[in-house]
Amino acid sequence: MSIEITSLTKSFGAFPAVNDVSLKIETGEMVAFLGPSGSGKTTLLRLIAGLEFADKGEIFFEAENVTMKSANERKAGFVFQSYALFNHMTIFENIAFGLRVAPRAKRLTKEKIRERVLSLLETIQLSGLENRFPVQLSGGQRQRIAFARALAVEPKVLLLDEPFGALDAKVRRELRTWLGEFHERTRLTSLFVTHDQEEAFEVADRVVIFDKGSVQKIGTPEEIRSGTSNAFVRDFLALDI
Amino acid sequence: MASFIDFRNPPGSDNRADRLIRATSEPLWMRRLLIGIVLVFFTLFLALPLIVVFQGALAKGLGTFLSAFTDRDILHSVQITLLVAVIAVPANAVFGIAAAWAITRFRFWGRALLLALIDLPLWVSPVIGGLIYVLLCGRRGYLGAWLQAHDIRIIFALPGMVLATTFVTFPFVARSLIPLMEAQGCEEEEAALTLGAGGFEILRRITLPKIRWGFFYGLILCNARAMGEFGAVSVVSAKISGVTNTMPLEIERLYNDYLFASAFAVASALSLLALITLSLKTLAEWKNRRQFEAGQRSLLEPTIETTP
Repeated sequence: MSIEITSLTKSFGAFPAVNDVSLKIETGEMVAFLGPSGSGKTTLLRLIAGLEFADKGEIFFEAENVTMKSANERKAGFVFQSYALFNHMTIFENIAFGLRVAPRAKRLTKEKIRERVLSLLETIQLSGLENRFPVQLSGGQRQRIAFARALAVEPKVLLLDEPFGALDAKVRRELRTWLGEFHERTRLTSLFVTHDQEEAFEVADRVVIFDKGSVQKIGTPEEIRSGTSNAFVRDFLALDI
Repeated sequence: MASFIDFRNPPGSDNRADRLIRATSEPLWMRRLLIGIVLVFFTLFLALPLIVVFQGALAKGLGTFLSAFTDRDILHSVQITLLVAVIAVPANAVFGIAAAWAITRFRFWGRALLLALIDLPLWVSPVIGGLIYVLLCGRRGYLGAWLQAHDIRIIFALPGMVLATTFVTFPFVARSLIPLMEAQGCEEEEAALTLGAGGFEILRRITLPKIRWGFFYGLILCNARAMGEFGAVSVVSAKISGVTNTMPLEIERLYNDYLFASAFAVASALSLLALITLSLKTLAEWKNRRQFEAGQRSLLEPTIETTP
């Protein structure tokens, strides 16, 4: 699914978190939002998911204007930095949640739900953990469960907020590779927020660099690394050209 | 020199836990003195009165004790007490959840004022809590004429007692939920939202299970206060035995009528309810603390970052 954003603006009090951002993301793309903390990248992601609402501007999913739609209508798959797993539910119930709350007419049967949850567990290579609780898993395992939970409802877009931010370097690299492969296979439109440029340049098709709520530069990793006249981008990426 | 080597803390080792305990603890005599004072206080002010109540209740034998509970008026007061609690507690449960949810999930104008208002019943005397409703709904009150014209009795009747009790027990549920919900944050609710869940579904499947022990704790406190309330209820009750007397009011009447054995019998029944409440409360507190810590852990974890 393609996403189009037109002059989106969002302020928290007097602080402009996202300032007049326009952006077009094509179907099947993997785009990284890169920037220092407080640059507005997470807020933009939350605006797209419907977890925040814009002061100005519009958001389109394909041709549909979703600006005023709530998050449960947009159903963008969202993966939180802190996983946000439901701690009082088993892993199975966590992944099945989105399927269980679907409207009655669209709800899958019990057997179908079970089938899908178990196949997702296989996809993320965590088969056999369905009866555990989130606290019994490691950080990397929890993050993969959060992925599976978001994917269970078959979203048209996947939004990842610093998905590897809380993990140690080794697990981080493994999951990054896994995410890249997953995207190659499914071509699910994906946006992910990161402050780690190595991560952004390795996984993403295109990188959007943010500072102070505005887009500083958009391009493929090669285009961005090949040099720019933007002082902030040069400084942020430590380009010595 | 070898005899000076401390084998428990050999030189070079750094037994930090041990040193911390030593650094923060008082000398032995001081500890004994403080513990002693607490014990004396505890015995005199808490344990002794409770024993006296049960002793007084059983002073004239088990027969007299039990006969108190066959008295029609006394039984009626138990009924009224339970009835008032059954209405006031659920009302405050709904209010408490709604208020805690609004206060912890939103930042709105007047939020601080709402927080202060929730606490109000704890700051003012319960007598004032009762008096408010007399001034509002009494014969000469603001709504008095209208109520009389429509033949609605609030003051000196059950509705007034329920209102006064609800006022006094207002803060307990909200107050026990606010810190818990603050600590848990709302990311799980947001996750449920992006998975397509509606508001009611989120409340039922995510929020309520997360706060259930804190909620239970608040309910118990609220219930204890609702059953034991004297001041506020005594202002709005006509204090007619067998009609508008709750257990605390009935105890006062029996005592004033020199029916000490019966007074103590009702008092012991009320104390028993309190003791049951107390043990439930301890259970809820323990479960709640675990939920609270789990909530804080899940909030803290993501900040532990390892930069490659």
